[in-house]
Amino acid sequence: MNWNTLADRQPYVVKLLTNSLKKDRLAHAYLFKGNKGTGKRKISIHLAKAYFCRVKKDSEPCGECPDCKRIDSGNHPDVHFVAPEGQSIKIEQIRQLQKEFSYLGLESKSKAYILEHADRMTSQAANSLLKFLEEPGQETIAVLLTENPQQLLDTIRSRCQILTFAPQSQRKLIESLTEENYPVQLARTAAALTNDQAEAEEYLNDEWFVQARKNVLKLGEELFERPQRALLALHEHWNPHFKEKQQVEIGLDLLLILYKDVFLTQLEEEHSIVYNDQQNILSVQALQSSQSRVRTQMLHILEAKRRLNANMNLQLLMEQLVLRLQEG
Amino acid sequence: MKFIMNRDQLVDSVQDVMKAVSTRTTIPILTGIKIETHEDGVTLTGSDSDISIERFIPVEEDGYEHVEVEKSGSIVLQARFFSEIVKKLPGSKVEVEVFERFGTRIRSGSSEFNLNGLDPQEYPRLPEVQENDKFSIQADLLKTLIRQTVFAVSTSETRPILTGVNWHILEGELNCVATDSHRLASRVAAVESTTDELEHPNVVIPGKSLTELSKILDDSSALVDIVITESQVLFKAKNILFFSRLLDGNYPDTSKLIPSDSKTEMVISTKEFLQAIDRASLLAKEGRNNVVKLSTMENGQVEISSNSPEVGKVFEHVSTESFEGDELKISFSAKYMMDALKVMDCSEVLIRFTGAMRPFVLTPLDGNTIKQLILPVRTY
Repeated sequence: MNWNTLADRQPYVVKLLTNSLKKDRLAHAYLFKGNKGTGKRKISIHLAKAYFCRVKKDSEPCGECPDCKRIDSGNHPDVHFVAPEGQSIKIEQIRQLQKEFSYLGLESKSKAYILEHADRMTSQAANSLLKFLEEPGQETIAVLLTENPQQLLDTIRSRCQILTFAPQSQRKLIESLTEENYPVQLARTAAALTNDQAEAEEYLNDEWFVQARKNVLKLGEELFERPQRALLALHEHWNPHFKEKQQVEIGLDLLLILYKDVFLTQLEEEHSIVYNDQQNILSVQALQSSQSRVRTQMLHILEAKRRLNANMNLQLLMEQLVLRLQEG
Repeated sequence: MKFIMNRDQLVDSVQDVMKAVSTRTTIPILTGIKIETHEDGVTLTGSDSDISIERFIPVEEDGYEHVEVEKSGSIVLQARFFSEIVKKLPGSKVEVEVFERFGTRIRSGSSEFNLNGLDPQEYPRLPEVQENDKFSIQADLLKTLIRQTVFAVSTSETRPILTGVNWHILEGELNCVATDSHRLASRVAAVESTTDELEHPNVVIPGKSLTELSKILDDSSALVDIVITESQVLFKAKNILFFSRLLDGNYPDTSKLIPSDSKTEMVISTKEFLQAIDRASLLAKEGRNNVVKLSTMENGQVEISSNSPEVGKVFEHVSTESFEGDELKISFSAKYMMDALKVMDCSEVLIRFTGAMRPFVLTPLDGNTIKQLILPVRTY
């Protein structure tokens, strides 16, 4: 991997980083924001290598020296990765990091920190991180990765240089997936969930995902046409299929896309519709419902997604959601 | 890599480096011990990234053969398993041999272990030692030095730089200062160095590392070489190397904190004073701050008192050896005073006050290599 291959996907970000590397003007903290699969982690690791590699050419790390190799294997003593432990990034993890910040590096004076899912920091952790974003030590870089920058504290965002990772255009992704002989309808759905080709392919190769799409559409149909039977449909089709939390999360995403499609039909933006094999149902529902009602329903689904992360009972969560969608 | 070593020697050495290995580390490779063999011996390294300990086992020492190196090379083995294994091996000799893909065979007597090793390339590289920039100090003096300062470091992480001891080396003199912003301990000692120009103005060594170091050093008068590199400090005793990372940042200037003049001076027996404070603090502990009050009396005595309304009162009278200057009433933390008195190592201590609201200084009566500064507590 080198900057050039990374630049194919993220030309703007790569250009900015390589220029700062060449001129030795890296910021003390970066916030990489962008959808899943836009290459945030890859670029952050490559940046760390470029920062530590002693035999780099220009801004390109060699990828061969012990420094580069150890960054890849997570064994470099001066590069720290922090990822959520379970639900969130806990205060202890930040304390650990804070202690690291107060020491000089082990092998050189420089240090680098990569914080994945920075938006999942608990509020105490975020506040404690603030302190060292405010008073950076010498020669340290911090890289925060997030998919939801708006969930970070304003004060954290304002102290980082924000780099926006452009999503790969959905059309391109769908095209390349259909070229791989995946059915176009499924490809559209997978591309709506992730921006990463590999991840999308993983979904598409999974029988579970194909069934999940069907079940969600079935539930949607019931909700639209026979709302009084929706709870039954939930028990018949949803609960047996969506057992794990991650599965429910995907299910909710799929359901959200359905409502979004209804909304898009109302706006006559038919070309962006994901489930375009369901045009009939969508157009009927678009006529029967109002824009504000669909909007409220979408808000309910987003709320359910949020509660999912707060460890709510999965079955109760879904029942509550369905009841709310019924009354709309 | 292949070597054969006396089991006892190996157990001892592994135990030394195990002191640096921590089970909870974020860097996977640090759960291992690095073993490196070369023609003149075997080196074991353990590290938790804050401190690293390197133990060298020479092929031969004092005409006694410790180890037979058959092939040089290196390997990283899981510390937890390796240390347990060598402790329990049956034979008096241990043979360690590394094969392809870091497979390692340990043989001793009738038992044979095959361990999966890790890539030694992944292990952190310790700084290269520049011999010309070193200075030396006796091991027992170094231990005393640590004991007399390290207790005063701050335990709170709000100002991380204060969790370390500031070492200031200038003109062959080492000045150690530790403070948690309520009290300060400082100690000066002469060091031997090869060059006169050796100067390190701002080296801050974490208190925890120094505590670990003093556990490893033995009470001998052998010299310990000290080298300060860009980001680490190295202590080099016989066959053992102790590295510690340094704290990042500038240590506050403490030289102006110690008052030069005084209004009240007294000399008092360390032991008696310590015991009196200790007793007075029994009741003070019940109150919030562990604060005791010292008031001067007419006949050259001082009164130490403490009052916790719910529990009761205590009065202690201690005679001073000599007393000069103004009368005084001052309150201070009994804990800080006891900590300071315990490390004085002298029978009589000189205390100089500059008023009830100003910090006061404790020094031994003979010489001023140790200075302990304590801030009073405001009470009404």
